[in-house]
Amino acid sequence: MTYQVSIFLENKLGHLERVTAVLRDAQINIRSIHLNHTANGWGILNLVVSNPELAHQRLNESGMSAALREIAVVKMADRPGGLDELLRDIVRAGVNFTNAYGRTVNDGESAFFVVDVQDIPEARKKLMDVGLELLADQLVYGI
Amino acid sequence: MYWEKELEILERKNLQKLQVERLMKTMRQAANAPYYGRVPEIRAFLDSGMTSIEQIRELPFTSKEDLRQDFPWGFLSTDKRDVVRLHSSSGTTGNPTVVYHNRHDLDSWANLMARSLFAAGVRDTDVFQNICGYGLFTGGLGFQYGVEKLGCLSIPAGAGNSPRQIKLMRDFGTTVAHAIPSYLGRLLDVFREEGFDPRRDTKLHTLVIGAEPHTEEHRRRIEEMFGVKAYNSFGLSEMNGPGVAFECTEQNGLHVWEDAYVVEIIDPQTLQPVADGEIGELVMTTLDRQAMPVIRYRTRDLTRFLPGECRCGRTHRRLDRISGRSDDMFIVKGCNVFPMQIEGVLMKLPEVGDDYRILLDTIDDQDEMIVEVEVKKEWFRGDLAFLDRLQRHITRLIRDEVLVRPLIKLVEPGSIPKAEGKAVRVIDQRKN
Repeated sequence: MTYQVSIFLENKLGHLERVTAVLRDAQINIRSIHLNHTANGWGILNLVVSNPELAHQRLNESGMSAALREIAVVKMADRPGGLDELLRDIVRAGVNFTNAYGRTVNDGESAFFVVDVQDIPEARKKLMDVGLELLADQLVYGI
Repeated sequence: MYWEKELEILERKNLQKLQVERLMKTMRQAANAPYYGRVPEIRAFLDSGMTSIEQIRELPFTSKEDLRQDFPWGFLSTDKRDVVRLHSSSGTTGNPTVVYHNRHDLDSWANLMARSLFAAGVRDTDVFQNICGYGLFTGGLGFQYGVEKLGCLSIPAGAGNSPRQIKLMRDFGTTVAHAIPSYLGRLLDVFREEGFDPRRDTKLHTLVIGAEPHTEEHRRRIEEMFGVKAYNSFGLSEMNGPGVAFECTEQNGLHVWEDAYVVEIIDPQTLQPVADGEIGELVMTTLDRQAMPVIRYRTRDLTRFLPGECRCGRTHRRLDRISGRSDDMFIVKGCNVFPMQIEGVLMKLPEVGDDYRILLDTIDDQDEMIVEVEVKKEWFRGDLAFLDRLQRHITRLIRDEVLVRPLIKLVEPGSIPKAEGKAVRVIDQRKN
């Protein structure tokens, strides 16, 4: 099972840096970052990191609201049209996601796409049924 | 010049004699109520009589808690059949404060209201727009009946909907309007958005502003923006509502109608009267109410008597504008709010932490109540939709409780200073 770390953040100067400082001290690498915010002055920071369990633990210890949230990570091609191809398959699979973000992988040919939905086990099954490749944790976390 | 000349310029000696007579009558009436029937001091006065109004100090105080504890009928001094209306404070937690009126009480109240407006220069030739919530809140019906008694053409416009307020003003040539001061900034914005200037495009000459503490500077600004005279109005539902104390055209303090109320100002710690002219807590007794007399009610409002006589000739003393509260109640958008009401709502929600903070601020010329709330760590699942729903849920619960729609701000755990002893839960940053 693959996890992102989600952190509740107020939109205030220095608050994001508090998170990165904790991760730096724990020698945790950030693989991908996604930050959303609402009109109400707060938002949620989503991180794919090299060690989500440790990140979750350290962030909570330092007083923040952090949660481990299961995600599905699918492979896509790192070239024009790559995401479009992937999305066609995701549509065919009938998976509607609430949040998504991605990053490229070092091989120069592929990228990964993080999908956040309520029911991850069902989404994984549907994605695999249309032939999509779900990435192994080692590849996602870069370990 | 006067609505009831004889009463309004009554020599103080005679005014006090009238007060003693009416207080005796009030005590006789009050003794019918279960609560006051138990008070030995009232019985003692009914047996031996009262010679000076200063003797009122021998009677015990009545607090808001007393009114709530004997909810709903403990203060009713007459047969229920005789009662024709009740007004009530907001609140769904605990008992609200209820005040009952019979026909006499409503007529007496309307008369005080008419007297007040007349003192501020309002006449039966005026068109009066009441921009104020009707219903259990006393500002709507209280003004309505007074304005009708005075004989103005009344427009019961209710609160909000600024474009409609402006249209009413322009269609019917409104000359006097009543609103809470914090609303008038918003109204002026809408005037400007619609390309109107109230000084040029309305017939307004008077605004009655009240239900919310405001400064002299704020009043002057309102007068300047609208091109009117603005008069301060004071009242509280326990003493009827509006029409308790009102500014005359001298605009120098609010005459409190002493034929209808005994007015004392006490030190909230020692409970003894303060020296004349010093600030203390206002304590009031009804003198002309039958269904529910209230004796020595601790209003918690801080004010003082203004020394000297008023040039208008009225002998009823003047109160200074309210300078604060001896408890933690605050007023926002014309509604009385106790921090405990908000705390009561928050503490029932398992998702919410123990610490919270209430910020009062002026945003886009509107006063807003911002409630900062911590979401407990264990409830955080990284789910935006959940937090969004929680925020709307809290907004609705607080709105239902205090009748003011709050802005709920979810904040990080631990970011609100811990409450220690007398923690400051309310921070008032309003501009006026």
